[in-house]
Order: sequence, then C-alpha cells, then structure tokens
Amino acid sequence: MKKTMFKRIIATAFAAAMLSLACGCGEAAQAPQTATGEDNSLQNVLDSGKFVLGLDATFKPMGYTDDNDEIVGFDIDVAQEVCNRMGVELVKQPINWDTKEEDLNAGRIDCIWNGMSVNPSRAEQMNLSDPYMKNAMVFAVPADSEAKTMADLNGKIIGVQNGSTAQEILEGSEIAGTITVQAMATNIEALQQMELGIVDAVFLDSVVANYEITSMGKDYVVLPDGLEEEEYAIGFRKNDQKLRDEVQKILSEMKADGTLGEISTKWFGSDITTVK
Amino acid sequence: MTGEEIQKVFMILLEYLVPTLKIFGFTLIYSIPLGMIVALLKMCKFKPISWLTNVYILIMRGTPLMLQIIVAFYAIPTLKSSPNTPAVIANMLSGVNIQGEDYMFNAVLFAFVLNYAAYFAEIFRGGIESIPKGQYEAAAALSLTKTQTFFRIILPQVVKRVIPASANEVITLVKDTSLANVVAYAEITLKAKQQMQNYSSLTPLFIAGAFYFVLAMVLTVLSSIIEKKLNYYK
Repeated sequence: MKKTMFKRIIATAFAAAMLSLACGCGEAAQAPQTATGEDNSLQNVLDSGKFVLGLDATFKPMGYTDDNDEIVGFDIDVAQEVCNRMGVELVKQPINWDTKEEDLNAGRIDCIWNGMSVNPSRAEQMNLSDPYMKNAMVFAVPADSEAKTMADLNGKIIGVQNGSTAQEILEGSEIAGTITVQAMATNIEALQQMELGIVDAVFLDSVVANYEITSMGKDYVVLPDGLEEEEYAIGFRKNDQKLRDEVQKILSEMKADGTLGEISTKWFGSDITTVK
Repeated sequence: MTGEEIQKVFMILLEYLVPTLKIFGFTLIYSIPLGMIVALLKMCKFKPISWLTNVYILIMRGTPLMLQIIVAFYAIPTLKSSPNTPAVIANMLSGVNIQGEDYMFNAVLFAFVLNYAAYFAEIFRGGIESIPKGQYEAAAALSLTKTQTFFRIILPQVVKRVIPASANEVITLVKDTSLANVVAYAEITLKAKQQMQNYSSLTPLFIAGAFYFVLAMVLTVLSSIIEKKLNYYK
C-alpha cells in the first residue's frame, strides 16, 4: 500500500515536471512579443531610448572584448553609428552563443549582431537583415603541413567550432566521409590543438583565419580551396519587422554616404561590405 | 603572451573576482541553513513531506547544475514573453526587469542555492543519523527534553562530523561558480574566455585557473583550522 502511494507521488511529480518542461520548450520556439500581433518593435526601442545588441563578445574582429575589457569590433562600430542615427543608446549585452535564440525571443536583447552566418534554420527562427558581408569558409593548416589542397586532407582530423555553421558545412560536405571532424568550444582552442598536432587542420571563417595570420602573426597557411561562401546578417525577432527595416534602411544610407566603407577599412583594410 | 599582457589579463580577472565571490558567499549563506531545514524535512515522521523532499533532492542531484542555471535564468523571461501565460502570473512578473544585472545575479544564485542545499542536506542528514541511538536513550534517561537532546547533545557532535564533507562541498562550490558563465554572468571564467579570444591564446584560462587554485587553497587551510578548533569530545 505504502509502496504504491509512493510510486504514484513520484509519477505525478515527474509528469508535472515533464509537462512544464514541454510547455517551456514550445513557448520558446514561438516568436512572442505582442499578443495582439501589432508590430511596436521600432517604437519600443525609440521609447526606451535603448537598442540592446546581443553578442557573445568573443568573435574577433566582428565583436569581441579587448585588452581593456571593452566590447569592440567591426559590428559594434557599425551598430554604434546606426544607434547614433536612430537617436538611441547602444547597449552591448554579452550572451551565451548557444542560447542566443532564447535570449532574443524572451526579449532580453533586441537583435543578435555578432558576425552571425546565415543558415536555413536561423532564417526560419529569426527575421534576418540582408547579408552585410561575405565570408568564405577555409581550411587553416600549420605552415609546414604537407597538405597543400583540400584533397590532401583525406584521412586527416579536422578541428571545428562546435555549434558553428562551419561545423554544419563540414559535416554536410562531400569530404565528410573521408575525414574525422573534431568539434571544440572555440576556434582558438581548435587552432591551439592544431599547433599541438592533435588535429591536422581547422575549418573556420576566413575572416578569423586571416586575422590570426596577419594580425597575430600565427604560422598558419590557408588552403587555396575552401568549401562554401557564406554571409553574415543581423538577427531580429520574427515579428520585429519595423525595427529590422529601420536598421536595414540606415545601413543602406551608411553604405551610400561612405560611412560603412570607412568602418570596414578601419577593420579589414578595404570595404568588404555587401550592403546595397 | 608577454608579461605585460598577462598582467593586464590578471587585473581584469581580479576585478571579476568580486562577482565570483558574490555567488560563492551568498550561496553559502543561504544554502547551509536551507540544507539544515531540508535535512530535517527529509527525516520528518510525516511521510509525504519526507517523500517530497526526496524528489527535490533527486532532481537537484540528478540533473547538471549548468542545466539548472539555464532553467532558473530563462523561466521568467519565457513566461513573460509567452502569450499563453495566465494573466495572474504575467501580472506578477511584469515588475521584473529581465535586462537588469540584479535579475541575472538572482536567477543564478537561486539555482546555486537550491542545488547546494540538496547536497548539504544529505551531508547534515548523514551527520545526524551517525549519532548512535544509545545517546538519545541516555539523554532520555537523564530526563532531557527532545529539544535539549538535539541542541545540547546531538548537534555539537554533528557539527564536528560534517565539517570534512562540507569543506569538500565548499571547495567544489568555488570552482562551480564558473558554471554561471553559461548565461553570460560576468565572472572570472567568462572574462578569461573573452580574453582568450582577444589574445588568441589559452593563457587567460590558466590565469583563471590560478585564481580558483588560490581560493581553494585558502579554503583548505580554513577548513583544517576549523577542524582543529572543533577537536572536542576526544
């Protein structure tokens, strides 16, 4: 008798826990905001005087934390200019990249703007801006590596950042069957493992690879043939059409009057933005 | 990294030692008393309460702390932003500023306190149950009341016995504070990870490791001093 009652209580508690979990997940997947379906996104930002930009603050040179613990980068400079033109304050909110969609949907941040690559699932979950920059995905190998082209990577171990589009592309590519993919938390760890000989090559954003080689003086070589070009975009909440359009409009104005080119030259040496 | 760069990272991490210690200190302040209450509830003669306490301990010890922090942190924002939330709850939550620094700290602390209280509860229960029955009988024979028996006879011995196991938990807690970085709570590990990207080097992580090591060392010394102080009834 006692036993069965105990079991029943346990079962009820579990059912309740599961139910609340299931509800939580379901809700997070929806794009919430206004229950009425009205789009006050732009007005809300203007009213509060704050535009909250979510970033993981570790993606150099797009948006990262510098020597003085300040968040800087190409994306930050552009966002700052956008905010100046909107007449609002830019709030840089560090988030965990793994839970960026939750932060966005729950309203902790107004956008994700941190060199985010466009992919189908992100396009479905968020309201993406037009791509503002192209990014090739490349293989970096140690300078003394015998691998000179992608074909030489047959049978090698390739490091990649876990949860990145680089990982998706690599695992979905035609060479996936001939290589071993090793996913690490960050590109830096992957590159470190390559230096130690644990992995043979790292598959990553050309922006990062080139920055490591030119600015940090690392002894790597980028293989001439990459897999795919991808693009960076800004992610807004699904319903926040007006806010997205306003930011997009200002970006186009900045491209037209040369401000965007100036910022790009400061970080990359030339205007590599693709805003129209 | 050059010596100067290491020094710079060190200074940044030193600044974020405060939020790390805040989580550590407040978790101890709340979870130890809560752990005592939970231990007593678990030993409660009224069985349903004991069972509910067991379920709580089972969940807290059976799921990763990292997951608990994420749940604690996203529960309120998710409820707030969902159109399906009942009006009563929505009204209650409307005053919560989910973008504030306080909110993040409180949510993270909530997860830590609930988690650590479960572990402390089991340590305390073990301590209380390790006291032989004969002592209760002897106390009863001397016509001490139940309250007197617990506070005068049992508790002083329990405190002494639970110190080593508790010290173990406390030292683990110092290192567990690093888990708060999953919701981007600005503490030593998060800052070390950011600086790691900035300098393209693993060194900042090792500097962070040194911080935790020193903290753990201080706590180890403290716990052995306390153990010596409580060296009574020998």
